[in-house]
Amino acid sequence: MIQVNGLTKSYGDFQAVKGISFEALPGEVFALLGRNGAGKTTTIEVLAGFQPADAGQARVLGLDPMKDRRQVRRRTGIMLQEAGFFPDLTVVQTVESWRAFTPAARPAHEALELAGLLDRSATKVRQLSGGEKRRLDLALALLGRPDVLFLDEPTTGMDPEARRNTWEVVRALAAEGTTILLTTHYLDEAQRLATRMAIMDRGEIVASGGMAETLATQAGRVSFELPEGISPQELPLPVTMAGAVATCRAEDPDLAAQRLLSWAAEKGLRLRGLEVRTASLEDLFLEGIGNA
Amino acid sequence: MRDFMAVARFGGRLYWRDKVALSTSVALSLGLGIGMPFLMAKLRPGDSGLLLDMHLGLLAMIMTLSALLQAAVNLSARRDQLILKRMRATGLNDREIIGGELANIAAQAVLLALVVTVVLYVAAGMPTPGNPLVLVAFVVAGAAVLSLLGAAWTVAISRAELAAAVTMPWFMLAGLGAGGFGPIIQLLPSWVGTVLNLLPTGGIVEGARFAYTGEGNVLLALLNLAVWTAIGLIVLRYRFRWEPRKS
Repeated sequence: MIQVNGLTKSYGDFQAVKGISFEALPGEVFALLGRNGAGKTTTIEVLAGFQPADAGQARVLGLDPMKDRRQVRRRTGIMLQEAGFFPDLTVVQTVESWRAFTPAARPAHEALELAGLLDRSATKVRQLSGGEKRRLDLALALLGRPDVLFLDEPTTGMDPEARRNTWEVVRALAAEGTTILLTTHYLDEAQRLATRMAIMDRGEIVASGGMAETLATQAGRVSFELPEGISPQELPLPVTMAGAVATCRAEDPDLAAQRLLSWAAEKGLRLRGLEVRTASLEDLFLEGIGNA
Repeated sequence: MRDFMAVARFGGRLYWRDKVALSTSVALSLGLGIGMPFLMAKLRPGDSGLLLDMHLGLLAMIMTLSALLQAAVNLSARRDQLILKRMRATGLNDREIIGGELANIAAQAVLLALVVTVVLYVAAGMPTPGNPLVLVAFVVAGAAVLSLLGAAWTVAISRAELAAAVTMPWFMLAGLGAGGFGPIIQLLPSWVGTVLNLLPTGGIVEGARFAYTGEGNVLLALLNLAVWTAIGLIVLRYRFRWEPRKS
């Protein structure tokens, strides 16, 4: 499991992570979301023992990732956002080379099959696409049958099929008890995979909790074009205006839509472009980082 | 130890597939180390003292090339390509990664130095050392120290493309001080020679000369290598960068 308590990390005068706390339990996929520069990768690098924390506590499997780096690394898999390969080795040579450094490693074909790269085994790394390199990254991260897996933007550059395959692998590993810390720019990915999440902005956690529970507490939206000659104040529910589009936020957006449509019918009006949306992670994300 | 050896073996496999290493480290070392003394033996037949002086000077140069320069180029490239970072993401510790890489480079440098030396005994009639074990010991220790210094020198290399150019002064100074370019040092003020003898190649040449002729101060040579080892280890411990500079 992963425990973070009051973690702080600065680079010179720039404070990248400001006293964040969260916990990921065994068998859980925990999503860490945020814009570029929010502090997600710094958090993963501290947890993976690449950098020491300035203050606070980070524990992986109950161990200090810096002091007990060797034990932690032997039980963790890390899919870094940026890391290189030897371009002249083939895919299978790369995996076989890494097996030599990995205790109790999976057979190369098994890791490549999991990552969906078995058919590219004989291809040189320099000839792989960006998405295929991410899959090779995943194969290396899975080699040691890790108890904890750090996935930093794992599906960036992958095609839709590879993304779905990766999601299946992540779900299967979590079901086997692997703790997974995931950062991603794809909010649909986080919503599909993660059971809990935290949204980071400028080094701080601005929203966190169970994915389903948190979304259930968020307001949905009903939006439509404001009919001509009608002012927002005349509507039966409060709205915010963006140009000619009125948006009403409501805990139960279906009920709000019914009320608006009844009001429009009474007045003989049409609500053009009517859209009813339940709360999504995107709404929560934008709200969390202050752009809603 | 198992992981250390795994890194060294992996480095060895990559070394012999690396066209840059094969052309600069291997081809240039063999060409210089064998070609120049061989030419001298043809021009001045029977002058075994001159042949030995040239060999020792070139030994310093080819070991600088194959150990120090190769380590600096290799590690700065792996740092910039984020391969060192990926290796750190495994169960390997930092000592195993750097130690394994340097063990491979030092082994290749020793191999090249020994090939050059044996070819010169056989083909150019160079005299064999009175104490071959001392010669091998100084070649091995010298390769290890120069490889270590190559790793330490990466702190001065901002980008991998500049590694060879930034490291070249070591090669030039080693050649000048040890006599690889001929007796140019005799044309310069005496203090230049004294200073250049303080280079690690000064220690290697002093030890090798002792092995061949029984002349020279072997303790001073060992002290020289010990001091450079300490410098290399301190720089590695406190200044080595595992990733490229972010700005």
